[in-house]
Amino acid sequence: MANSKRIALTGYSGKKTSLAARIYEYRYIYLLGLPGMLVLIIFRYLPMWGLLMAFENYNPHLGILNSPWVGLKHFERLFSDPKFYSMLKNTLVISGLNLLTFPAPIVLALLLNEVISNKYRKFVQTVVYLPHFLSWAIVVSLTFFLLSAEQGIVNKIAVSMGKEAYAYLFSEKAIYPIIIIQEVWKGAGWGSIVYLAAISGIDKGLYEAATIDGANKLQQIFKITIPCIMPTVVVMLILKMGSIMSVDFEQVWLMNNAMVKSKLEVFEIYIYNNSIASGSTQYSYTTAIGMFKSVVSTTLVVFTNWLSSRKGFEGVL
Amino acid sequence: MLSTAITGNDKRKMGMRAKTVMGQTILGIILFLIAATIILPFAYVLVVSFTDPSAYVSGTFYIWPKKWSFKAYRLILSGKGFINALKSTLYITLVGTPLNVLFNAGLGYMLSKPVPGKKFINKAVMFTMLFGAGMVPNYMNIANLGLINSWWACILPATCGAWTVMVMKSFFEALPKELEEAATIDGCGQLRIFGIIVLPLSKAMLATFTLFALVSYWNTYFSAIMYLTSSVKAPLQVYVQKIVLSSTISDVVDLANELSSEVPQEIMRMAAVTVVVFPVLCIYPFLQKYFASGVMVGAVKG
Repeated sequence: MANSKRIALTGYSGKKTSLAARIYEYRYIYLLGLPGMLVLIIFRYLPMWGLLMAFENYNPHLGILNSPWVGLKHFERLFSDPKFYSMLKNTLVISGLNLLTFPAPIVLALLLNEVISNKYRKFVQTVVYLPHFLSWAIVVSLTFFLLSAEQGIVNKIAVSMGKEAYAYLFSEKAIYPIIIIQEVWKGAGWGSIVYLAAISGIDKGLYEAATIDGANKLQQIFKITIPCIMPTVVVMLILKMGSIMSVDFEQVWLMNNAMVKSKLEVFEIYIYNNSIASGSTQYSYTTAIGMFKSVVSTTLVVFTNWLSSRKGFEGVL
Repeated sequence: MLSTAITGNDKRKMGMRAKTVMGQTILGIILFLIAATIILPFAYVLVVSFTDPSAYVSGTFYIWPKKWSFKAYRLILSGKGFINALKSTLYITLVGTPLNVLFNAGLGYMLSKPVPGKKFINKAVMFTMLFGAGMVPNYMNIANLGLINSWWACILPATCGAWTVMVMKSFFEALPKELEEAATIDGCGQLRIFGIIVLPLSKAMLATFTLFALVSYWNTYFSAIMYLTSSVKAPLQVYVQKIVLSSTISDVVDLANELSSEVPQEIMRMAAVTVVVFPVLCIYPFLQKYFASGVMVGAVKG
């Protein structure tokens, strides 16, 4: 009796085995995981070796091991570079404005949830999720067809009404609103999924009780739905704050041009233009910039993740 | 007394129903307007792309083509630029997608089993989600591996991602253990269990991630800009971006004979965008099928 129970608990062998034997037992399972692990090691961990460049004057002929060590020189240069502060500002302004659009998916989810007709809701959902799957090259192309000075439909309408065409895409004033609208257009529908899931988890009895008590739809939304999804909202907000150092690079890269450069130049654009694109010798400095960005955003993400789990919302995610 | 009370109640009910109808109508209109911001740009692009060059007047706009024509599409599709870009995108997508699903599923499955070292590997996988070496070290790494100007530079780094691995891992953990145990007792090897029991049980989840991978490889853009130095190898997203944003599109379209000046730039541009978006729109309904399933919710949350 006792013996058979032990077999059931410890697995098929029924014996305690050495580590090597256990590894051997799982050899085929390891084999399944091996390609994935190799990809992560080669393309995610191996490059970290290159971070040493940030502390040297990297010379491609000498290689990473033999290039002269300069300590924190590049970081000192970074913090005294006015360009650095303008890049930091651009990053924070763009992410900050993005943060302001945070309620968009919540509002969309609340609206979708109130639709009685299942068919109509499905239709709207199908449409609003779509932009998430389009590349930034396409989204930026559509923006061009909408807003370009000669070929944009907005300007064509303006001109046909006797107004002058306005080059939105080359305007420092217009570029931030355009970026933010693109972001909402592309992401709000997809972002609403998590809130719809949270809403569908609310106890239906609450609404029935409220209806009997005479609460109207609007009261139900503000007194039941929103309070019930608040934990999800808080967690999503905290997580979004963790990514405040990251701007969607493809988007700003594609929207960038000489006229709006001062508003859109973020870390990655500077790094790309001064290392890979130009083939210049600034590898060490640009690596230092990238490393600064990575370290700060990792710290932020870890901190905000900790915060979101600490606040007692573990069950939400 | 009683009868008046009933009619009063009925009136209130009818009032509520009227209110609901009105509320639903307003809601419907708001949501329709939101959907329109997504549908209309595509409709406009479609209309212009099918407009005949002879009916086109620069600086005006149309709601319906005055004269239909496939001329722009004929030019785009027969241009060398498109053929090269399509080849490149198809190679990246068709080679990348199966590798991506296989590698992610393999690692996810491994981490769902009590293998020695699981905790450490788990942490190591999660760490890649938090920290990246950055653009320059990544570039040097690709260069050291000799992958510059190779499609593999766009394929391999994207074949395994921490987030997908973690979602797949929790999916495999939730699968009923009985089948696998029974198969083991019957003497079925671990690889065969994975192939003939686990994978078939995970069809819906695998289909979702296959479609995700398809779309994301189809949308390959920046890795191509970084790593593919010869323009012949550039994929469709780079091609469409060049057509829309450069002033001399005839070089990008690259026709054997110089016909492209016949069709106005604008029509060519919109035809190019339509051609590149079309496949995504085609697989989108299949993708959409899985949105309601639990996998997707977990995926979005993760």
